[in-house]
Amino acid sequence: MGRSSSTSKDALALFRSLGSAYSATPTTLKIIDLYVVYAVFTALIQVVHVAVVGSFPFNSFLSGVLSSIGTAVLAVCLRIQVNKENKEFKDLPSERAFADFVLCNLVLHLVIMNFLG
Amino acid sequence: MSKVITFLTLTVFLPFLCNSFSPESPTDRRILVLLDDFALKSSHSLFFKSLQSRGFELDFKLADDPKISLQRYGQYLYDALIIFSPTIESFGGSIDQAAILDFVDSGHDLIITADANASDLIREIATECGVDFDEDSNAVVIDHISYAVSETEGDHTLIASDDLINSNVILGSKKIEAPVLFQGVGHTINPINSLVLKVLSASPSAYSANPKSKLSSPPSLTGSAISLVSVVQARNNARVVISGSLSMFSNRFFRSGVQKAGSDIKHEKSGNEQFLVELGKWVFHERGHLKAVNVRHNKVGEGDEPAQYRINDDLEYAIDIYEWSGTSWEPYVADDVQVQFYMMSPYVLKTLSNDQKGHYFTSFKVPDVYGVFQFKVEYHRLGYTSLSLSKQIPVRPFRHNEYERFIPAAYPYYGAAFSMMTGFFIFTVIHLYNK
Repeated sequence: MGRSSSTSKDALALFRSLGSAYSATPTTLKIIDLYVVYAVFTALIQVVHVAVVGSFPFNSFLSGVLSSIGTAVLAVCLRIQVNKENKEFKDLPSERAFADFVLCNLVLHLVIMNFLG
Repeated sequence: MSKVITFLTLTVFLPFLCNSFSPESPTDRRILVLLDDFALKSSHSLFFKSLQSRGFELDFKLADDPKISLQRYGQYLYDALIIFSPTIESFGGSIDQAAILDFVDSGHDLIITADANASDLIREIATECGVDFDEDSNAVVIDHISYAVSETEGDHTLIASDDLINSNVILGSKKIEAPVLFQGVGHTINPINSLVLKVLSASPSAYSANPKSKLSSPPSLTGSAISLVSVVQARNNARVVISGSLSMFSNRFFRSGVQKAGSDIKHEKSGNEQFLVELGKWVFHERGHLKAVNVRHNKVGEGDEPAQYRINDDLEYAIDIYEWSGTSWEPYVADDVQVQFYMMSPYVLKTLSNDQKGHYFTSFKVPDVYGVFQFKVEYHRLGYTSLSLSKQIPVRPFRHNEYERFIPAAYPYYGAAFSMMTGFFIFTVIHLYNK
């Protein structure tokens, strides 16, 4: 009894420390995180839809899911490159990272529109 | 000058002299009657007169007349044949078993009778038509229970039978009240042969044996399996009547009264005349002859027949069916004509509805399968000519621009893709202008 309550207390303490650490991140990165969550959420909705209705226009399904996941991936890449605490990309200007992000998204959406049917 | 005029008149009127059997008027016209001797002309005159009064031309010839022939220079001289010569060993002239069978194979009709002491030739012709007479040439049909009561015939070979086939097409719509008198040989038909029908069967107590000798073993033909009169409707719609008794057609039997043994009812007149006159009408195509014309199909809403259909099209199919009444084509009314949309197996089977005037029509949706289909109508009814129509039509799949443009099941994916694009745009704006 005591041990389970101590583990649950430990889990609560863990979440609280995560939350307080997260609130220390810069606003820019928080906006990117929100964007990623939104994209993944859209992908989940589509997967639930295909489980219910069936995969009839399979190309449309793939296109929709790929657009969500691809957006999420590109946003994650942007976050990595823009994060100032990241030693690997210290010398990369954030404008360059943003320009890459925009171009990749353009290519992604071109492909999506063609495959959507 | 007069010679020129006569020549011109003859050539003008020559085409009108050809009024023989044609598809427009299927009733036979000229009938060759082969007899054993000319006494049959007078002893069976009622039957012959009934035919002649309906417009048939009967040509009476002795069966061994050396000048008889069915065809000359490849054209048949007669439209039908009646063989009233059961004892003939071989026909005269150019007629033989093969010639008679070719005659039937080319669509012409035949009435053939056997009798006691029928020759092998008659038996062989009957076997080729699907009917087997008793192998014992002395055997006749005997019935000790439903024989016809009479003063003279004591050996019960004159039987009265009322086991008639139940068909208004073959026997007419008026019921035959009196039993039919019969004195002759019996035959059997193969039950799996669907083209041969027993029109007059013997009663269950009949058997086929020699009346003058004692029975040494049980007879081979017994009961209702014995057929007294059978008909064959061939696949080319030729009709054959095979009877085991020649005296059944005689004036004596037509006129005599009949009383079945064991029943008190005495009929003034036997059913022979009504039975055989109606059967004669059927065999010479005055009844039960159908023709189907004007087969057409089109897409719903359009007038002309397309060269091919697309899957999931709506189409209409229509057909006209007429029945020959002896003098003219009357509309045929039935509610069991069906059409199949067939490719290796019927994908659609619909019963055609009719407007009581001989027009049959239906409409259905082309199935979701592409290929080459046929509109098939297979109509086989007892006593009627068979209709086998088929019309081929290809069915193609959708062209690439005939699909729906936006599929409702895919709306979430369209929404997701566009929402990702707008989200990206909004995000760049926020990201760039965020301090």
